[in-house]
Amino acid sequence: MGAAVSVREARKTYPGGVEALAGVSFDLSPGTFAALLGPSGCGKSTLLHLLGALEKPTSGSVAVDGHDLAALSEAARDDYRLRRAATVFQLYNLLPTMTALENVALPLLLDGLPRPEAEARAEKGLAEVGLSARKDAFPYELSGGQMQRVAVARALAPRPALLLADEPTGSLDSRSGAQVLDLVGELVAARGVTVVLATHDAAAAGRASRVLRLLDGRLVDG
Amino acid sequence: MRGLGPLLAPLLLRPLRRDRLRFALTVSGIAVGVATVAAIRLANSSVLSSFSRTVDLVAGKASLTVLADGPGIPEGTLERLAWVRSQGVSLVPALSVTAALGTPDGEVVELLGVDPLSDGSARDYRFASGPRALADAFAVFEPGAVLVSETFAARHGLSRGSPLPLLAGGARRSLHVAGILRAEGVARAASGSLLVADLATVQEVAGRAGWLDRIDLVLPDGAPGAFRDRLAEEVRASLPPTLTVGRPERRNETVDRMVRSFRVNLTALGLIALLVGTYFVYNTVSISVLRRRADIGTVRGLGASARAVFAVFLLEGAALGTLGSLLGVALGTLLARGALAAVGGTATDFYLAAPPPAFRADAGVLLFSFVAGVVASTLSALAPAAEAARVAPAATMRHGSVEAARRRTTRPLALLGLVLLALAAAATRPGPVAGLPVFGFASVFLVVAGASLLAPLAVTAVARRADRPALALLGVEARIARANLTGSLSRTSVAVAALAMGVAMMVAVAVMVGSFRGTVEQWVSQTLKADLFAAPESGRAGRSLGRIPQDALDLLERIPGVAEVDAFLSFEATRDGIPYTVGCGRLEAIARRGNLPMADGRDPRAVAAEALARGEALVSEPFATRFGLGRGDVVRLPAPGGEVPVTIAGVYTDYSNDRGTVTVDRALFRRLFGLDGASSAAIYLSPGVDPEEGRRRVLAALHGRFAIAVRTNATLRAAALALFDRTFAITYALDAIAVAVAVLGVFNTLVALVLERQREIGLLRVLGASAARVERAVRLEAAAIAALGTVLGLAQGGAMAWVLVHVINVQSFGWTIRMEVPGRFLAFSLALVLAATLLSALHPARLAAGTDPAAVLKEE
Repeated sequence: MGAAVSVREARKTYPGGVEALAGVSFDLSPGTFAALLGPSGCGKSTLLHLLGALEKPTSGSVAVDGHDLAALSEAARDDYRLRRAATVFQLYNLLPTMTALENVALPLLLDGLPRPEAEARAEKGLAEVGLSARKDAFPYELSGGQMQRVAVARALAPRPALLLADEPTGSLDSRSGAQVLDLVGELVAARGVTVVLATHDAAAAGRASRVLRLLDGRLVDG
Repeated sequence: MRGLGPLLAPLLLRPLRRDRLRFALTVSGIAVGVATVAAIRLANSSVLSSFSRTVDLVAGKASLTVLADGPGIPEGTLERLAWVRSQGVSLVPALSVTAALGTPDGEVVELLGVDPLSDGSARDYRFASGPRALADAFAVFEPGAVLVSETFAARHGLSRGSPLPLLAGGARRSLHVAGILRAEGVARAASGSLLVADLATVQEVAGRAGWLDRIDLVLPDGAPGAFRDRLAEEVRASLPPTLTVGRPERRNETVDRMVRSFRVNLTALGLIALLVGTYFVYNTVSISVLRRRADIGTVRGLGASARAVFAVFLLEGAALGTLGSLLGVALGTLLARGALAAVGGTATDFYLAAPPPAFRADAGVLLFSFVAGVVASTLSALAPAAEAARVAPAATMRHGSVEAARRRTTRPLALLGLVLLALAAAATRPGPVAGLPVFGFASVFLVVAGASLLAPLAVTAVARRADRPALALLGVEARIARANLTGSLSRTSVAVAALAMGVAMMVAVAVMVGSFRGTVEQWVSQTLKADLFAAPESGRAGRSLGRIPQDALDLLERIPGVAEVDAFLSFEATRDGIPYTVGCGRLEAIARRGNLPMADGRDPRAVAAEALARGEALVSEPFATRFGLGRGDVVRLPAPGGEVPVTIAGVYTDYSNDRGTVTVDRALFRRLFGLDGASSAAIYLSPGVDPEEGRRRVLAALHGRFAIAVRTNATLRAAALALFDRTFAITYALDAIAVAVAVLGVFNTLVALVLERQREIGLLRVLGASAARVERAVRLEAAAIAALGTVLGLAQGGAMAWVLVHVINVQSFGWTIRMEVPGRFLAFSLALVLAATLLSALHPARLAAGTDPAAVLKEE
């Protein structure tokens, strides 16, 4: 079951007065595939950080399934990231010192699953992204597209309710990018996961059921 | 170099500002290593230069000096050489003895006996008060009159006529100050602690009537070198072979030989500390290269040459080395000053009972230590600098692939390591070179190098096998730690190797010292059987000075309750310039008691009886090893009348003197050398007499006539072991330094790794790992480094201990010791190392836990 997201007048100002978000409000119902579309520096990544409980808004609120993320304790925020909200980044989102299988199993082990179970689930996840054969490869032995597929498998392994993807195709060629997005689309549709995909690529945003356009920290459309 | 200038700011200076802590630690690591080397060599050079200054100042204007290989020069030799006076040459006799002041502080002084009428022609005397020249100072002829330097007089508040109590020749003497010398010429000898008296006074005080220890020959002004050489030949021809003539400074060589083994061994330990320090530089420059890969790629893309990049990182190593070495030299100077002030240098205690040496900042030593630090640091930056030069323009190579390339070298490196270890084993076979265990030291360094090359394979092999059990036992943090260990192999294996080296040094020294102590303890219990031991009172000197007079020995035998007195008497001799000891005891007593363990395990009773019956000698194991002589060989003893051949009946174990001793029966000794009295005496009490009671009786009998220290068996044993422990205190200090440097190395590596892995740590936090778990992962990583370093260090240390005990020790000191493992001490020390390493992980672990995931992800 996907997460319900509610953002109310969220502002984020960094020390030095840089205003990344200037009051953003929107709601997402469970299972929505939303795209945050906008040029570099418009506030996409900041909004994802707020949704991932990595940062707190300067004012306003960000709530997931009715819980205000800013009000959560440190431990509850760790727990939220572990079980509810997973993130896929543009670059370097695998731990270079672990194999593909170990990367995917990591969040499950962090959640306390016994190793055999964690690894079985990780293997299944790698199979779903078509990388069973490369499970023992280290990240530097994989292509960009393969790395990003491993990252998707890792993000989905703990069965999150919310998937946050920050320019996941930004470093890939168009074909690999399309493959990754197809994969994300299929997997989240089957599981009903709520997705927030930050991108500056209109074609990528075209796959979303809802497009939120951001410009200079404000929502201009959607 | 062209193109180097513009690279300095982006690749060297700015990063240096950012990583201040890491650079400061590296500089201090080098500083500690350099300081250790500098301190050891400075302390030694101060001792030696103090001695050689004394030799020079005492020699004065003499061009040639007659010295004795044996117990001394009979006064009659002056008559024998009287013919040289006809050639305008002055003969200046002297006798110098080391004694202690009879004051509570017991300062050690040098007492020089001269002929006031002739001495002015050889030595320079300037009076601060009283007479103008030595020959005018008739007061000096008075019995008990001495001249002192003005510095000595000021230190002790003395003026003309002041009484000066002295402990010499086993008695308390009352001397008085007859004149005060300006601190010039001979008065500067022995760091100013020189007392000058009439020859007869010194002979009487030291119980050496009729003996001299040097005759200086002063040639007419302007005499050519050829004249000197011809005179030396003629003098040599007119003297027995046991008296030698030559340049006065040749005595320095003898002293240098005495302390050489001690100095070389300590320097080798210091160099290992420096080696641990250079690991810091290797580590730091490697990390710099890895962290600045992208920047290197960028500047290469902008046209910087590979050579310029190489030069930048080599410069980084050299700069760290220069800073560290400068600090190290300053620190070493302070340490050496402190050491000299505290103990007068261990070498002086043992080898040269002499006034405390003055500190001298030997420029050569300072330069050597500085250059050693800079060169070692620069060399250790070579490999990482070469790696930097290989970075392709605009490189985007990922860190993982760099490390993967490193991982592929683990097996070849391990193979090379095994080859080095095999060479280390081979290097234990050859004998010493010029009396020094050169191959033994090479073996130790090969063990260190070989084991270090095995470290990467040890890390990967253990990490692979331990992954699953650790995961099951310690949780997912163990897997994160494992991934970090193998993922950053180039740094973690260096930290493991450095820690292993520190631990190995500690283990090796602890086993060596422990074995030595155990062996000495057993030897002491086998040889020290008497109830009481007597030796002349010697103030603050580390060993006993002078002799117990014969009439004191006679008195001892008459004391009720004393069953037997076994006196030991010895003198220092030289053989081809190499010092050794000639001594005597009562072989009949050894034949009866058997308290002299033989090196070959034969019954000492039988050997001593045989030696007594045939007039043969027993030699100590160090003597046999150093001179390559054994049972059945003939040793030539330097009797005043000429050399006397004596057959060696057996070799006994002895840990009291590493120069080596030839021991003959007392009666034979007396006949050959005409000496009596005793350097020390063992007193056996009648059955039923309590040792303390016996001691009281002996002291009461000696009271008022003699200044002789009497100790019970238990006190002497305790004192012997205390002296042993004091001697080896410095090795423990070096040990502690090596371990501290290694633990600092682990800290340095962990901090660098945490800084380098900030993105990965951020990712872990995004994946839901709490700060506490990240902290625990770093601590587990440190624990793994500590455990691996300790295990590798134990194995390495065991091998080093074997080489130290069975090769270096035998070749340096000539004695064999039984290997013993001081289990409790080692367990305690290793626990301390582990605890220190884990403590060193606290800060990096907290640093990791404090990583702000949002901030590091934004830098993307």
